Amino acid sequence: MSRGRRGFTALAVGLLLLTTGCSQPATSRSESITLYTCVNDTTVQPVISAFKAANAGAEVQLFRAPTGQLNARVASDVRSGGLRADVIWACDPLTMQDFVTQGLVGGWTPQTDIPETMRTPDYVGIALLYMVAITRKGQPAPANWQQLANAGKVAVPDPKVAASALGALAYFGTDFYADLKSKGAVQVSTPDDVTTGVAQGVYDAGMTIANSAYAAAKSGSPVTVSWPKPGAVAIFGPVAVSKATENRQLAQDFASYVTSQEGQTVIGSSGSYPTLPNVPGPTKPENAPTVQPDWKTLASEKAALLKDYATIFGG
Amino acid sequence: MMQAGDRGLLWAGWSVLIGSAAIVVAVPLLMLMRTSWVEGRGRLAEVLTEPGFGTAVAHSFELSAAATGLAVPIGIAIALVLRDPRLPGRALWRVAVLLPLLVPDFVLGYSWLRAYARAGLTSELFGFAWTGVQGPVGVAVIVAVSAVPLVYLIITVGLATRAEPITERAAHASGATALTVLRTITLPLLAPAIATAAVVIFVLTLGTFAVPQVIGTPAGFSTITTRIYADLTYGSDPQTFVDATTLAVLLVILTLVVVAPADVLLGIRLQLSRTSATDLDWPSGGRIGRALKPLGLAIYLIATSGLPLVALVSAAMTRAVGVPSTPANWTWDNFLAVLTPRTGEALGRSLLLSFAAASILLILGLITAGLGRTPAGRGVSVLITLTLVLPGSTVAIGMLLGYGRWLADTVAIILLAYLAKLWALAHRPISASVDRLPLAGLRAARASGANLATGLGTVALPLIRPALITAWALCFLTALHEVTMSSLLYGPGSETLAVVVLNSADLGRVGVTAALSVLVTAIVLLPAAALWALTRRARA
Amino acid sequence: MPDVLHVRGLSVAYGTTTVLHAVDLSVGQSEVLALLGPSGSGKSTLLNAIAGFVPIRSGEITLGTRQVAAPNRADPPERRDIAVVFQDYGLWPHMTAVDTVAYPLRRRRVDRETARDQARDLLDRLGIGQLADRKPAHLSGGEQQRVGLGRALARQAMLYLFDEPTAHLDAHLRDVFLGEIAARQRETGAAAIYATHDAAEALGLADRVALLVGGRVIQVGTPQQLYVEPVSATAATLTGPASILSGPDGPLLVRPDWVRFGGDRTGVVVDVWFRGSHTDYALQTTDGGLLLRSQATPTHHRGEQITWSLDQAWPLPEDH
Repeated sequence: MSRGRRGFTALAVGLLLLTTGCSQPATSRSESITLYTCVNDTTVQPVISAFKAANAGAEVQLFRAPTGQLNARVASDVRSGGLRADVIWACDPLTMQDFVTQGLVGGWTPQTDIPETMRTPDYVGIALLYMVAITRKGQPAPANWQQLANAGKVAVPDPKVAASALGALAYFGTDFYADLKSKGAVQVSTPDDVTTGVAQGVYDAGMTIANSAYAAAKSGSPVTVSWPKPGAVAIFGPVAVSKATENRQLAQDFASYVTSQEGQTVIGSSGSYPTLPNVPGPTKPENAPTVQPDWKTLASEKAALLKDYATIFGG
Repeated sequence: MMQAGDRGLLWAGWSVLIGSAAIVVAVPLLMLMRTSWVEGRGRLAEVLTEPGFGTAVAHSFELSAAATGLAVPIGIAIALVLRDPRLPGRALWRVAVLLPLLVPDFVLGYSWLRAYARAGLTSELFGFAWTGVQGPVGVAVIVAVSAVPLVYLIITVGLATRAEPITERAAHASGATALTVLRTITLPLLAPAIATAAVVIFVLTLGTFAVPQVIGTPAGFSTITTRIYADLTYGSDPQTFVDATTLAVLLVILTLVVVAPADVLLGIRLQLSRTSATDLDWPSGGRIGRALKPLGLAIYLIATSGLPLVALVSAAMTRAVGVPSTPANWTWDNFLAVLTPRTGEALGRSLLLSFAAASILLILGLITAGLGRTPAGRGVSVLITLTLVLPGSTVAIGMLLGYGRWLADTVAIILLAYLAKLWALAHRPISASVDRLPLAGLRAARASGANLATGLGTVALPLIRPALITAWALCFLTALHEVTMSSLLYGPGSETLAVVVLNSADLGRVGVTAALSVLVTAIVLLPAAALWALTRRARA
Repeated sequence: MPDVLHVRGLSVAYGTTTVLHAVDLSVGQSEVLALLGPSGSGKSTLLNAIAGFVPIRSGEITLGTRQVAAPNRADPPERRDIAVVFQDYGLWPHMTAVDTVAYPLRRRRVDRETARDQARDLLDRLGIGQLADRKPAHLSGGEQQRVGLGRALARQAMLYLFDEPTAHLDAHLRDVFLGEIAARQRETGAAAIYATHDAAEALGLADRVALLVGGRVIQVGTPQQLYVEPVSATAATLTGPASILSGPDGPLLVRPDWVRFGGDRTGVVVDVWFRGSHTDYALQTTDGGLLLRSQATPTHHRGEQITWSLDQAWPLPEDH
């Protein structure tokens, strides 16, 4: 081997070792927890910072990915030595329920004033998404959900892709969507696609999540946001502690923190809707109505519901 | 040729090859198959008969066929146009046609939407939009466009070595017009290169994910790869996870079956050595031809790369969706939102990781090429093609299943995933070059007292230097904008740039996603430009 | 009858390098012109320009009555009445010998069967009829060259361009070549340009010889003129074995067959080569080194003192 080749190989091997070494966590395990979540960075990062500030010496290792990747990661963990997360913060109750059924998380929840409708013995909802109506400026905004079908060209998100859309489906039932389809509604992929489409004028109105709609309106897109009666559909994202965690105390501390007044305030100011009552959060009109789907029934009926839905908008 | 001292080198080469193949490719594949088999074989019937499965399979093959059918003729046309030595601006065109190679495919798909879909750039500027872009036709076209540079590269090599200028001169001197020469001489002589290009594109597009996902899925167009992704997204229960791995295994089997004439993949020689003919020996076209060629090239490049990239930058600069892209509405906010310290860190890590991956892959590619003519070597070649075709998410899952216990959250596991996915990419150009090594030169070295290692190092390596640089560059750039595997395998302290992209893109804002795409593309362009300059000097 | 080829003031350049400088040349009916010059002198470039493979910088090329090349316009090769035999054969790997030779006929719209029959005839005459269905990979160098010749002959052109075609052939094959060309000349008045670096070959087969050095034609004449009266020392060494003696009025060209043993000048034998039909001697004299050719077997040995004299000599003009 020529000198050049040898030098090159050494460099490559050295780099390999370097990069491997670089990733070892600096602190010992007992002061650190691993958090798996699908929630956006803009919410998760402030929460982690605030938690670390309130708990000197604590480290939170974050794995953040869209729901699909999160599921794959958990499943792979399970088959290669066990779940490596100490805490999971999901984006919808159904995913979390699946984890509970597999025996991965649950069995304990922190003391908190978060309403019963958003908790079970295994997990507690800490952030909310609201499905609201978004309308192109200049068009009349629907005062209730039934009027959405008459709003012109309407877009709805895909329940197979977004848990929020799934929640809406569970709440409204398939008849609602059949009616929409018969009046020319279109299904897009994510709630953000709905927002973008309405903002660009491709659609006249649609169903999307409040954060997305208000962000667009704030940056200047010609849209209006409304909370149609009987209410915006609320989807909560729960937190749960892993059953096999080796850092139970710190994990539970984290769960307690995010369900506390302080943690919920941080969540509220980061752009997500808090679940704890009377905590300030993003834009929500006075007395805006909200409704909750029946998550328990949905858990067992998910497959059938989606199958039904597929006959309306296609698979 | 073999002497006593050679045995050590050979032994070292074989152990690295077999060892690496086992660690990097065999283990993940086996883990996937095991999961499928152990947990999923009971469900195999259901997976196969699930509504939409047959459609997805059909779509995958139709997509590959359509993309290949589009990309190959265009690539041939471009190669033929660009060999004219007196083409105005030739050096520039030869770089410009390679642009789609540098743009990550999720960026390409996204930028086409911004350019041609409803409410896109053409709609804003000219008032028309191509609604078909968001559907199977759009997917096929975009996938084809991103494959054209590869076809062009393969055909150019074929032209240089099989359809040398003298064959065309002889035909002209025998009374044949340009078109007749093309039909009777050039294309028949290019047949092996065309076949290689077709097979390569077909296999690569079977595993393509980003474009069908971004463009096809909203229109209801599914492929095996998008179905795998849907399974992962849709279900957090074990059943759908296993379904996803089953689908992945099926994809691998389908690929094997379709390209089972393994010799088609492996036997065709891509000859990268220089010939005695210089560029100037190619015929230069007539005056009209010479004016039309740049025009045609320009139209093609603007439509497929230029306009989409402009649309992308425009979207990145516009402050909100739905407002016209005028200077009054331009802002740097989207870029600022993206350029955080975390992005900087991730970028540094990505560059390091890509550098390491490309360098290791170079060595692996060399060894594979060197030992590739033996039956075992051929076996390894087929094996590494399988990980090339697997969608990134399943390679990542395979890695986690195999090594998650020890390597989870480290950079090492991401590196392993890159090695698995890109090994075939490194191996291809190198083995083609090795095929054409002149034996006489090596013998002369041995007769002059060099052992095998020195002989290879001093005689063979300099000759295949362009191929080495090409292979390294290809791996480096692909690793740099790899998204799917990194986002699944990363941990705190091992985030790559792509992970930052994905996490931010999930915020869903058009402007920010566009800004990130522009950033990622720009970041890829800079090392690419450096590598191009290096290649020019190496070839001189 | 007009000249078959007329080249006037031809200059060809590759990028910034001029390869041919203002070349003037003409070839008449039934004439064989040898283009003699060392490697790199521009022989191939000249042929390429005549054939239409490279564009010209200035000057013009006329084939028969038609101007085929000028600086801003040029006929493509397929429309020039030329045929080419390439130095590296230029065969098509995917075609059999018979199809290769039939190719030019097909281009003239001869139907397939007739073309192939005529091609087979041609291959027979060239002695490789039995190899008609083989592809180049299964033909030896000499056989490939013959297929190349057959292809050129099938073109039935007025001007045949040979680019060092016999570099790889034995003497017998060379005769076959020349026989075929001679037949063509008689039949059709076709002419040929034969590029070579081998002086003996050029002198032997050409009606006229053009010397090309550094992209310029330095002398054109009959083989005899070039051998006996070259215009410069360069031309002298190119056209055959040459000794340059320093004479009283300048350099003198002495060919080996112009020197004989015996006489009033002295020298020493430095080397002896017995060549079968003749013997070559290298002598060292007071006027310089000298080559002597004798038609006898060796009569002198190395180191021997001998006497010699000149039968004839040619005073060389200033080298330019």
